[in-house]
Order: sequence, then structure tokens, then C-alpha cells
Amino acid sequence: MDKEDKEIFLEALLKGNREKGSAIATKYVSSHDDIKKFYEDIVKPSLYKIGEMWEYNIITVAAEHLATAVSESIMNELYEHVISLERTPYKIVLGSIEEEQHQVGIKMIADIFEMHGWDTYFLGSNTPTNDFISFIEEINPDIIALSLSIYTHIPIFERMINQIRRQYPEIPIIAGGQAFNHGGQEIADKYDNTIVISNIYDTEKFIKKFEDEDK
Amino acid sequence: MKTNEIKERIIKTANELPEFPEEAYKEYEAKIPKMVSELNDMMLSRSDIEVLTGDKVNIEMMKDNHNNHAHFIASILKNFDGEVLVDTILWVFRAYRSRQFHTNYWAAQLNSWRTIIQKTFQIKQQKIFCRFTIGCKSTYLHLLNYRMNN
Repeated sequence: MDKEDKEIFLEALLKGNREKGSAIATKYVSSHDDIKKFYEDIVKPSLYKIGEMWEYNIITVAAEHLATAVSESIMNELYEHVISLERTPYKIVLGSIEEEQHQVGIKMIADIFEMHGWDTYFLGSNTPTNDFISFIEEINPDIIALSLSIYTHIPIFERMINQIRRQYPEIPIIAGGQAFNHGGQEIADKYDNTIVISNIYDTEKFIKKFEDEDK
Repeated sequence: MKTNEIKERIIKTANELPEFPEEAYKEYEAKIPKMVSELNDMMLSRSDIEVLTGDKVNIEMMKDNHNNHAHFIASILKNFDGEVLVDTILWVFRAYRSRQFHTNYWAAQLNSWRTIIQKTFQIKQQKIFCRFTIGCKSTYLHLLNYRMNN
């Protein structure tokens, strides 16, 4: 991975220059592995850096939102390279929990599942818990994936898992996001079949394990 | 003492804060909207509020902080982790100090929280929350000192 690509991409996000950012992205479309590298080694650290710049008052909230919007639109451009023609019979519902506005990370995870031929139902950010669960009833997925970036949302996350588990005691739940930076596995451990995953490579290992065990 | 040693010492102190019974946490969480509203009123009634927040444009940010603080404390009460407490407080200091909040803002805010807790809860719960708030205040002040010097 070109170090310069990372710097150019960050600069493109900060200036809202979608064309420049897109030009970087198109260098990473020749394989799923390249797209994963683009997500994990360019997009993710760039957005973390943007968050840090807001923290130090170097950029405003508007600039942060612009960077996020540009990142998402570039990720959308890659969809034709993400989707796998070989399909599996598996389905996953993914989204950020209620009150959680951040969604780029869980969108990346949705793309990873798509690369493996899964049907993904990406609900985006801040889906009310009751509506999320109604949707699960409708789709009957094999896995649920939840994202939260803000630590104060952990109680909402726990309430949601409790509600899901009342109706679906067995369905695997994977959770991730910056809220779990100091652990969080101990919270997930309280519930059966619930794990915290911190990056797309561990997500892939999980997918392979799930598919192997289901054979 | 090296920077990391100082931080580790503060985390160790934070980990000595009292544990919370579940009913205390639930009661705290249920009363967040009322407590935050009262805190906002209390802080806004101060004649020095614009000095504490650095600029009147920061008043909305202050209100956001009060709401976020209450929800964060609820999270910490339920799943306590000293390192999360310390890292989050440091993040708050960076984010708000970079926007000109005065260091006295946190002392004023925590003292106001103590007053509100005394008004809101029964004596038994007051003792629990006040011990936690005083412990948090001590952690805050250690961290403020750490932040100012590192």
C-alpha cells in the first residue's frame, strides 16, 4: 500500500474532493484483497484522523461530516467490485444501534459479507431498536451485526441484545465499533453467541468459521 | 515520574472507586433528563458562565456535555472500567479545552452535580453517588493536572 495514497486520500476528505479520493480508490479495485486494504489501511485511519482533528478543534463538525459523506460515496462507487457473483444462502442484517450516528465501519462489514456472497441488509445508522427487531422478524437472518462508536451507547446496546435474545436466543450477534476500544468482550460474554470483532480481517475469519461449521 | 506511570497511577485510583448495586444504576439512569435539565439551569444562572465556557457560542456544547456526561456516568456505573473513565475524561479535556473551556468549568460542573444528586436521591443513594462523584472529581483533578503538564 502506497503511503502517499493514504495522505492524498486524507487531504481529499478534508477538502471534500470526491474526484481525488475516488482516483485513489480505483487503484484498489483489482481484487477483494485490495479493497479490504483500502478500507482498513486508508479509509479507516483517515476517518480516525479526522475524528482526532475535530477533538483538537482543527476542523469543525461540518468538515467531519463532509469527510464521512465523501468516504461513503466513494465506498458506494466500489460496489460493483465488491459484490460476488457466487452467492451463498446466508443473510445478515447490519446496522448501527439506536442513537448511534456513525455508520461507515458497519458499512465496510456489510461489504465484506457481500464479498463472500451473503445477502446483506444494511440499515445504516440510528435504527430504533423496535424497528430493527421487526426487520429481523421479516428477514430471518443467519447473523445480526451491530455497531456503536460511542461508549455511552453501551447500555442501549445491552438493552437491544436482551430484546433480541428474548425472541432469538440462538442467532449469532457480532458487534464492533470504537465503543469497544477498551474491551467490551466482557459485556458481550454475558450473552450467548455474541462476540466483539474489531476489524475486517477478523470478520472474514468469523465468516469462514460460520460457513465451515454450517456445512 | 514518567507520563505513562502517572496515567497508570490515576487509572489505579479510578479502579478503587466504589461498586454500584444495579438498582442504584437504574434509578440514576431514569433521572438523567431531570438532572441534566437542572444542571443546565444551575450553570446558566452563573454570572461567570461565559468565562467558564470560553465563549457564549460554547453554551450549546456545554449542554451537550452535560447530557453526554450523565449518560457516560450511567454507562460507567453499569460496566465500570477505570481505563475507560480515564481515557474518556482525557478526551473530554482535549475536545473542550481546545475550544476554550476554562479549567474551572469542570470544578463548577462537578460541584453542581453534587448539589443535584443531594436533591434528587434518597440519603442511601446520595452516599453512593456522592462517593462516586467525589472520587470522579478527584480523578478529574488528577487528570487535569496530568493534561496540563503533558
